[in-house]
Amino acid sequence: MRTAVTCALILLLGLVTFSEVSAGFRVVTSEAARRLDVREHAPQIPDAMLAGAGAGATAYSLRSELARDGRIALVDFIYTRCESVCSVLGTEFQQLQQDIRKQGLQDRVRLISISFDPEDDADALAAYASRMHADASVWRFASVADPQALRPLLDAFGIVVVPDGIGGFVHNAAIHTLMPDGRLIRIDDLGEARIALRSALAHAEVASR
Amino acid sequence: MSPRRFGFLGAALLAAGTAPWLRTWLEADMARHMLVQFPLLILAGAAFASSVPPRMRMAIAAINAHGLAGLLFCLLVSAFWMIPRALDLALLSPPVELAKISTLLAAGAALQGSWRPAGVIVQTFFIGNWAWMSAVVGLLYQDLSTRLCNGYLLDQQVVAGRGLVALAILIPTALVVVLAKRGMLLGNTSEVR
Repeated sequence: MRTAVTCALILLLGLVTFSEVSAGFRVVTSEAARRLDVREHAPQIPDAMLAGAGAGATAYSLRSELARDGRIALVDFIYTRCESVCSVLGTEFQQLQQDIRKQGLQDRVRLISISFDPEDDADALAAYASRMHADASVWRFASVADPQALRPLLDAFGIVVVPDGIGGFVHNAAIHTLMPDGRLIRIDDLGEARIALRSALAHAEVASR
Repeated sequence: MSPRRFGFLGAALLAAGTAPWLRTWLEADMARHMLVQFPLLILAGAAFASSVPPRMRMAIAAINAHGLAGLLFCLLVSAFWMIPRALDLALLSPPVELAKISTLLAAGAALQGSWRPAGVIVQTFFIGNWAWMSAVVGLLYQDLSTRLCNGYLLDQQVVAGRGLVALAILIPTALVVVLAKRGMLLGNTSEVR
């Protein structure tokens, strides 16, 4: 009898703990947990000073720039020397840029690619932007000007960057939807760029009403 | 071995799994984390359990008939630390890391205190359960093309998966060998302990 009670207690504790780590048996990976959390709570991202691409680029605050611009932003994190996942992201964003221009959505949605590599200066970003045929009115590139702000920013977006041992990085990649007020409302997988765009437009509709 | 010696052995195993730079090295790789550090901690827990006075062991045995509660606890702890998010959290959050170390120690202690009382049938059931669970998780680690842990790379995940499958084969095999050696597979129905 005492053993039965002990087993029941162990099972109960187990259920609570498993439920806790899996957000109510809905996720088993950190990535899925983060996306669920973002969709449910829309956290405010911390502010960071960013530096733009090209000569004469000055540092600006991400949050005030978002507010000033007023458009919903689809954001990804890259580094310009990356040859793996960033090229996929790059292709996705090129496709998005095309869709946005074709459908005349550039007054409602924009694209931002932020580099997490300290080696990416204004020139590297500019070269990368021209390689991507980026239209500056739709798609902006930036690096994080203040190294102190990089970590909190990556944490807020849930980007984990691991040095790959051969001079580059391994990092998770996704498409993040940011509202003009600096709330992160949605994270989509690579390959789901159009879903991200559609949901951003839906939010833009609601916001403009 | 004397209880005191078991205590020292436990402390040595615990240190091997958690000494600052060793811990960093073990946890830098998914396979080392799961297949070296976890067993070290479980063995440390078992050694500690061998060093506690008999009176305390009797008290625990009273709520652990046939080792059922202890083995159930072991299965749950083992399953929990195979969840990718739990591994990630252990890497990122000191309280979770502490919980990981203490639950694995406790699982080792529970295993030590439950194995004998369990008897062959419960032992076999427990090992069988653990093995198929680990095998399925190991196959998933190898099969999924997405990175399950933010803290580990895809190829580390594959290696960890292979290791889990290997363990899921080795441990039941070892159990069968032990039982065969003790002459328990000869078809007489009297259960020997």
